[in-house]
Amino acid sequence: MNLITLKNKKNGRLVLPLVSLFSLSILIGGVSESVEAKTNQRLVVGNEYMLVTNYPNNLHVLDLATEKVMKTCQLPDDFGPGAIKVSPDHKTAYVLNNHYEDIYGIDMDSCDVVFTARQSNGNERVKSIFSFAVSPDGKELYTIQNPTLLNKDHYRIQEPRLAVYDTKGGLDAKPIRSFPAPRQVTVMSVAENGTLLMAGEDFYAVDVNTGEKTVALANRNWQRPLYAAPDVLNAWPMDTANNEFLSLYTTARFQDETMDLNSAEWIYGFHTIDLKTGKAESIDFGPITEIYFTGMRNPADSNIVYGVLNRLAKYDISKKEMINAAPLDHSYYCIAMNDKGTRVYLAGTFNDVAIYDADSLEKTGSIKLPGGDMAITTAQVFRR
Amino acid sequence: MKITRLLPWVIGAATAVASLLPIQASAEADAEQIVRNSCLSCHTDEGSSALPQSKGQKSAPQWSRISHQRKTPEGWLMSIARMQVMHGLIISDNDRRTLVKYLADRQGLAPEETTGFRYAMERRLNTQESFESEEFTQICARCHSGARVALQRRPASEWEHLVHFHLGQWPTIEYQAMGRDRDWLGSALNSMVPQLAKQFPLESKVWSDWQSAQKPSLAGSWRFAGSAAGRGDVEGSMSITGSDEKGYQLELMGSYADGTAFKGRGQGIVYTGYEWRANLNIAGVAMRQVFAASKDGSRLEGRMFEALHDEVGMDISALKDTGVTNQILTVQPSYIKAGETQKLTIVGNNLKGKLSLGQDIQISKVLEKGKNKILVEVRADTKAKLGGRSVTVGKSKGGDLQVYDRIASIQVVPNFSVARVGGNGGSTPKVTSAFQAEAWAPGLDGKAGTDDDLRIGFIPASWHVEPFDEAAKADKDTRFAGTMDATRGVFSPALAGPNPDRRMSTNNAGNLKVVAKLTDGDTTLQAEGQLIVTVQRWNNPPLP
Ligand code: HEC
Ligand code: HEC
Repeated sequence: MNLITLKNKKNGRLVLPLVSLFSLSILIGGVSESVEAKTNQRLVVGNEYMLVTNYPNNLHVLDLATEKVMKTCQLPDDFGPGAIKVSPDHKTAYVLNNHYEDIYGIDMDSCDVVFTARQSNGNERVKSIFSFAVSPDGKELYTIQNPTLLNKDHYRIQEPRLAVYDTKGGLDAKPIRSFPAPRQVTVMSVAENGTLLMAGEDFYAVDVNTGEKTVALANRNWQRPLYAAPDVLNAWPMDTANNEFLSLYTTARFQDETMDLNSAEWIYGFHTIDLKTGKAESIDFGPITEIYFTGMRNPADSNIVYGVLNRLAKYDISKKEMINAAPLDHSYYCIAMNDKGTRVYLAGTFNDVAIYDADSLEKTGSIKLPGGDMAITTAQVFRR
Repeated sequence: MKITRLLPWVIGAATAVASLLPIQASAEADAEQIVRNSCLSCHTDEGSSALPQSKGQKSAPQWSRISHQRKTPEGWLMSIARMQVMHGLIISDNDRRTLVKYLADRQGLAPEETTGFRYAMERRLNTQESFESEEFTQICARCHSGARVALQRRPASEWEHLVHFHLGQWPTIEYQAMGRDRDWLGSALNSMVPQLAKQFPLESKVWSDWQSAQKPSLAGSWRFAGSAAGRGDVEGSMSITGSDEKGYQLELMGSYADGTAFKGRGQGIVYTGYEWRANLNIAGVAMRQVFAASKDGSRLEGRMFEALHDEVGMDISALKDTGVTNQILTVQPSYIKAGETQKLTIVGNNLKGKLSLGQDIQISKVLEKGKNKILVEVRADTKAKLGGRSVTVGKSKGGDLQVYDRIASIQVVPNFSVARVGGNGGSTPKVTSAFQAEAWAPGLDGKAGTDDDLRIGFIPASWHVEPFDEAAKADKDTRFAGTMDATRGVFSPALAGPNPDRRMSTNNAGNLKVVAKLTDGDTTLQAEGQLIVTVQRWNNPPLP
C-alpha cells in the first residue's frame, strides 16, 4: 500500500510546472531563451562556485568571482530538503530531494539529470535524513536508507542500511551493495582513503566493501570526565575546503561529581575528523551565548571557527573566546567559505545569500536568488 | 522536515467538536455496513468477537486495528479523520458521525478511565501537564499532550503499532531534540510500550463493569451552577429531552452573578453512556458543552465554552431533579468573612425546608425563596467558627461555605497561561486569557503558606500586566502584546502579523507578568502569574 508516496508524487508533478513557471517569469524576469541559454553554459575550470537549492525546485550555481547567479537548473519532483553533495571532479551535483526519498545527479554544465536513485520501492518507503556522500574517485554514492513498510493497515519500521550506488547507474539506479547500518545516522563524508564517515549516535568509520564499522569519534558515548553527553544538530552535509568532517556540538561541563546543572559551564565545541589523516578530535571553542545551526573553520586559519544562526560569530579556538559577531538581516542556517578563507557565505531560509568579509565580518554583498525559500538547503563551495 | 499536515482541524476547534455533534444515531447494522464499505479496503475482517462484549451482544464483528483499541469520541474522530487525510479514506460526514458513535459506545473509556485527563476533552488548553515519568514526558508528550495518550486503551501490540506509525509518518522524530539524545525507537518500543500496555490496557474491570452497567437517560430537568473566569458565578436551569438513541434536545436559562440573564437551546448526544456533548446557541454565540455524567445519571460535570473561542467558558456542575426534596447543588459565593454581611445564593432542586447556615451565621433577610434558588442576606459573627461548613435546607446537607477572618495570601489562577495574537485578516481569531485571584486563609496556625491554609475561593481583584523580564521590557511587550481588563482579569492580545513599530518588525508576541492586587482590611495583597503572548495555533485537533 503506497497511497501516500503515490499521492505526493502525483501532486508534485501536477503542481510543479505551474509554480516554476510563475517564479521564472516573475522573479527572474528573463525571457525563456536566456534561461535556456544559461542552463547550457559550462562552468569554467579554475573558477570558484557555490551551490544552493530553493523552492520550487531550483539548483543554483553561483559564480563567486562576480557574486551572481550563473545558472539555475530545474530539479525533478518535489523540493525538500535539497541537500547537496558535489562529485570530486566538480561536474555533478547530487541532490537529496523529493521528501528525503530520492537522489538526483545533475550535470552542472548542461543541467541534465544524469543520475536518479529512487530509494522507495513498492510498499517500502525509504528516507535518507541528510545521509549521503560520494567516494573520492566519484564512482560510488553512499546513502543511509531508513525504510518503513507501509502495510495496508499498519506501518513497520525496518532496520536502516547502507546502500552503495554506482554513479554510472543512470536514471533508474539500484544499489550494487548494501549493509546493515545503525539508526539515527545523519551527515556523511568520505575520507581520502575511501573510508565512509557517518555521524550518528557516535561517528563511525565504515568500510564500504564489507560494511564493517568502528567508532571513529565518540559522541553520545564520549567519556570526557565531568562532561554531559554532547548534543549535535546535523542537517547540513557540508564539505569544507580544508578537508575536514566537522559538526558543532553543545555540552555542559560540571563543577564536580555532584553533576549539578545549575553550576555547570555551557560549552560550544566541534567534532572534527581530518579526511586526509583520519585524526578525530572534539574541541571546545567557547561558552554558549547563542545557538548556531552550522559552523566552519577558516581554511586559511584553523584556529578560527565561525558559527551562524541569528548572528555570524567568529571564535578564537585556542583562547576559547568570541572575537567578533555581526548582526544579520534575518536568520541563516548554513555557512560556507571560499577556499582562500577570505569570504563567508550564508545560505538557508529566504532567498538571498549574504556575503561577509571573513576577517572583519563586514557585509560585503548579497546574491538574490530566483525562486523562493532555501529552507534547509546545503551550501557547497568548490573550484572547478 | 517540518511536521505539516493538512488535518481538518487547522481552522479551529469549532469545526472539530462540531463534527461530533448534529445527531442522527443509526442502527448498529448501519455502522457495521459503513465499516465494511469504507474501511475494509485496507483493514481486514477478523470474523468473531475477541473483546469482552457488553450485555446482549452475543458476538460482534472484529476488524484489524479498529477492534483492538478503546478511546474517547474525540479520539475516534481523530483516528478516522487521519484515515481520510493520510490514507485517502473517503467517507461522508454523516457516516463518520455514525461510526464515531458506534465505536465510542462499544470501545470507549469507562468513566474512571478518564479521571484526571478530562481537561483535554474540555479544551482547557492552558493546562500544564506534569507526569511522574520524565521518560514518558520526553518520548510521548513533547509534541502533543500526554492526555491524548492517557485517554486511550490498547494491548501492547497496538501501542507498538502506534510507535511504528509515528516514526514511519514522521521519520525525523528520532533526529529531533529529545530524540537524537537517545535510542528513540528502542526506548519507545522496549520501555514505553510495556509501560503503556500495563497502565492503559485494552481490557479492564472498570470497563467491563461499565459495559454491563445500566446507562441512565439524561433526559429531565437540571439545575446548573458554575464559575466563569472574567464573569464570576453563574447558575441556571437546563431541560433535556430525547434519548440516547434519538439524540437529545436541550434548553437552558441562566444568569451571571451580576444579574445578566442568558438563554439558549441546542442539541446533545451521549457517547459511551456518559460522555455528554452538546452544541448550543446562546444569544447568537455558538457554544459547546463537554460534560461527564455520573454513573447514576444524576450529575453532570464539565465545561461549557464558546465554539470559536474555546478559552472563553465556564466550569459547570449540574444536578438532575429526581423529585427528591432539598437537593442542594451549590452556594454562591462559597465564602463569607467573619464580621461581615453579604448575599448568598443557594442553588438546588425542590428547596422547601428551612435554610440553616450553622452557628454564628444569621439570616438577616430572605430576598428570594424559589423552588430552585434561595437568595438571602446573611451576617457572620466576628467570632464565627472559621473553616468549612455545610449548608442545610430541611434535613439535606450540601454546599460548602468557608468562613474566614482574613486573607493571608492570593494566587493568580492560572499561574501560567498562553494568549495568542489573531485576527488582522487572518483565519485565526485571537485567543484571550482570563485570570482569577484565588484567596487563601491562614488556617489554624495563623500562618500563610503552610499545609493547613484554607482555600477561600475566587475573589475580585484589580489586574495589570508588567514586563516579565529585561528582554520583555526592552521590547516594550506591555505596549504591544495587548491589553488587560483591570476589573475582569481578561487579557486581549493584539493583532496578528508583523508590526512595523516593533524592533525588527516582529509580531506582537510578549512575555508578561500578570499582577493581581486586592485589599483585605488594612492589608494589600499581591500575586503574580506569567502570560506568554504568542502566535496563532495553526493546528488545533480535538485533543491537544
Ligand atoms: C486507504 C487505506 C485505509 C482505509 C480506507 C482505512 N484505513 Fe485505517 N489505517 C490505515 C493505515 C495505513 C493504518 C496504519 C497507519 C496509521 O495508524 O495511520 C491505519 C490505522 C488505523 C487505526 C489505528 C490507528 C492508531 O492510532 O493506531 C484505526 C483505529 C483505523 N485505521 C480505523 C479506520 C477506520 C474506522 C476506517 C474506516 C472508516 C479506516 N481505518 C479506513 C489505512 C486505512
Ligand atoms: C514528533 C511529535 C510526536 C511525538 C514525539 C509523539 N507523537 Fe503522538 N502524534 C503526533 C501527531 C502529529 C499525531 C497525529 C495528530 C492528528 O491526527 O491530528 C499523533 C497522534 C497520536 C495519537 C492518536 C492516534 C489515534 O489515531 O488514535 C496517540 C494515541 C499518540 N499520538 C500517542 C503517542 C505516544 C504513545 C507517543 C510516544 C511513544 C507519541 N505519541 C509521540 C506527534 C507526536
